[in-house]
Amino acid sequence: MSIALALSPLLAVGLGALLLMLVEAIGTKAGPVPGTFRDVRGLAVGAASTLFAGGAFAGCVWMYGVERIPGAASLAPWLILDPFTLFFDVLLCLGGAIAALLAGGYMPEHGLERGEFYALILFTTFGAMVLAAAGDALTLFLGLETMSIGAYAMTAFRRASARSAEGALKYFLLGSFAAAILLYGFALLYGATGHTDLAGIGSAARQAAGRSPLFILGAAFVLVGIVFKVSAVPFHAWTPDAYEGAPTPATAYMAVAVKAGAFAMLLRVLTLSLGSPAWTSWASGWPPVMATLALLTMTYANLVAGRQESVKRMLAYSSIAHAGYVLVGVTAMMRDPKQAVAGVLYYLVAYGVSTGGAFGALILCGSRGREAVSYEDIAGLGKRNPAVALAFSLFLVSLAGIPPMAGFFGKWLVFRAAIDAGLYKLTALAFLNSVVGAYYYLRVLVYMYMREPAAGAVTAAPMRSGFVVTALVVSAVLVLALGLTPTSYIDAAMSAAGVGASG
Amino acid sequence: MSTSLIYFWACAATAVLGGLSVVVAKNPIRGAMGLLMLIVSVAGLFLPLHAQFLAAIQLIVYAGAIVVLFLFVIMLLGPSASTPVDRRGTFVRAASGGLFALAGGAFWVILARAVGTGGPAAPDPSFGGIDAVGSVLFTDALVPFELSSGLLMVAVVGAVAVARGRQGKRSMSESELEVARTSVPLPDPADKGTGVFSHEIDDRDAGGHAR
Repeated sequence: MSIALALSPLLAVGLGALLLMLVEAIGTKAGPVPGTFRDVRGLAVGAASTLFAGGAFAGCVWMYGVERIPGAASLAPWLILDPFTLFFDVLLCLGGAIAALLAGGYMPEHGLERGEFYALILFTTFGAMVLAAAGDALTLFLGLETMSIGAYAMTAFRRASARSAEGALKYFLLGSFAAAILLYGFALLYGATGHTDLAGIGSAARQAAGRSPLFILGAAFVLVGIVFKVSAVPFHAWTPDAYEGAPTPATAYMAVAVKAGAFAMLLRVLTLSLGSPAWTSWASGWPPVMATLALLTMTYANLVAGRQESVKRMLAYSSIAHAGYVLVGVTAMMRDPKQAVAGVLYYLVAYGVSTGGAFGALILCGSRGREAVSYEDIAGLGKRNPAVALAFSLFLVSLAGIPPMAGFFGKWLVFRAAIDAGLYKLTALAFLNSVVGAYYYLRVLVYMYMREPAAGAVTAAPMRSGFVVTALVVSAVLVLALGLTPTSYIDAAMSAAGVGASG
Repeated sequence: MSTSLIYFWACAATAVLGGLSVVVAKNPIRGAMGLLMLIVSVAGLFLPLHAQFLAAIQLIVYAGAIVVLFLFVIMLLGPSASTPVDRRGTFVRAASGGLFALAGGAFWVILARAVGTGGPAAPDPSFGGIDAVGSVLFTDALVPFELSSGLLMVAVVGAVAVARGRQGKRSMSESELEVARTSVPLPDPADKGTGVFSHEIDDRDAGGHAR
């Protein structure tokens, strides 16, 4: 029973997904015209409330103290139930709920109202939560695949669109390849150490086995598989196409929850398996690799994002750039893991609510057949629809890292951790990058408020949807709360990071 | 060279040949046969590792079910399934083949250096039997076993979602969307104040409620 209490976030989402499928199969009424789609708006409410409930369960277990629940540790090493896991549970459920609400508005608007999407969101979130909790290579892989397959299917959801199919196929092929590399890496690590649990691999890494060629090769393969999911340059090639082709709620979901799940996996592997002094030193470990990846990711994504003509694609590159900033925080784990992990956790929440809101605002900018895609589409939106433009601006300003929004404190914490770790050059370059990044976020604002659409040009017509507005309100409140009263959130991230680092 | 080593090299060489023929084959039937060859020889590789159950499952599920399914699909699609010969990107293909060979060579060297640096001891002969696998599956590894049901479920739901998408009568294709977008002209900026846009939205909303 107490195990059920400790697992309640996972169980809520998993059972909710099964229930939702039942409701979809027998509960929804057929449309008035034969052959048309059913009205599945109720499923959006169901999916969102299931995910909010999952997040609430995680919050309650957090308040009660997961260490006080007897039996919670008995699932280790398969599933590690600690504040780190619960923190990610809340974040993943929040991201999933925002995506479900966005889908509730977007899917009927664009003629995609099929109930499977909500079941996919729930199952994908379930996989991401398993991934965040995984303490063994086997559960980690199961969680990763559950999350990834759901994301592939969501990307391909708009089958009639060639762009969606192209993005999904690229994502699927490259993703399967990366998963195979990850699995091969774990097989080599098992060969080198005789362990599949991450902590066991870590304790073997402290001895001679940690420097054997087999172990190094295995660790490199595992890291390649993980940074693919994080979409760091040079493993990012799928990201712009998949993000652009996917229905926008799926894009928001991938940018928030899938990315957060991938970072949870990265943090776990780096702290538990590669946390030995030799592996965390600059001379012989992963920090220079992570620093190079961070630098490449930020610089490349920011330069390319500025050249995009499609706002959605720009936001896709922006999500790559933010992965680069987070990797700066990951590199800072070499010195003081607790502070760096706390910075990364806070950053992921701040980035998640901002980017989820930004995609939501982009959805609200367009309507059926007149989707907002390019900068020209949203020209003059500030006059045509001030409320939508204001919401969009709020999220973009937060993504740009301008105080007093959430994104500012995220960047501040991550950069401070990097400075404390002695990474001055990397921090300076990351700061320069965020200045470059501000250019393309503010460019959207310039188009919305200072440009007029060319005479006779086609512009996007804003849609009306209570679901999307709800999602935007939730994200906006969090963006402001994280920015104006960051203390309690930073404290939560600190207490989650403490246990995550010590394992 | 001992018998077990000869057996290993025979199986490994057949597996690599099978894998290569999957990649290279122009004819999809040949590709499927190459896959079959790969699967059978990998099942052969499982046997000296005391993974008899896994080898049997590999034959039943992959060779027996999945390759047969592939063949059915290829036969249903007919000759149109084969793509015309594409000569573009010959250089890129050659370069990627060279790079792959280089990486494989480096990998080989590293692995060769790693030989003899320990690793887990050889497993007990009963390690991969049905009873051993079964008892692990339902005791120690119960958590991942249960979690794998989530993986299977999401795969099924995802497959249905993607397959059903084609039938969407209401979903517009990309080109239709383009037409729809370009055929709706922006109202003249002069009569912006008359609420042409809100009128249009109301129309659409009304239509939405009607259906």
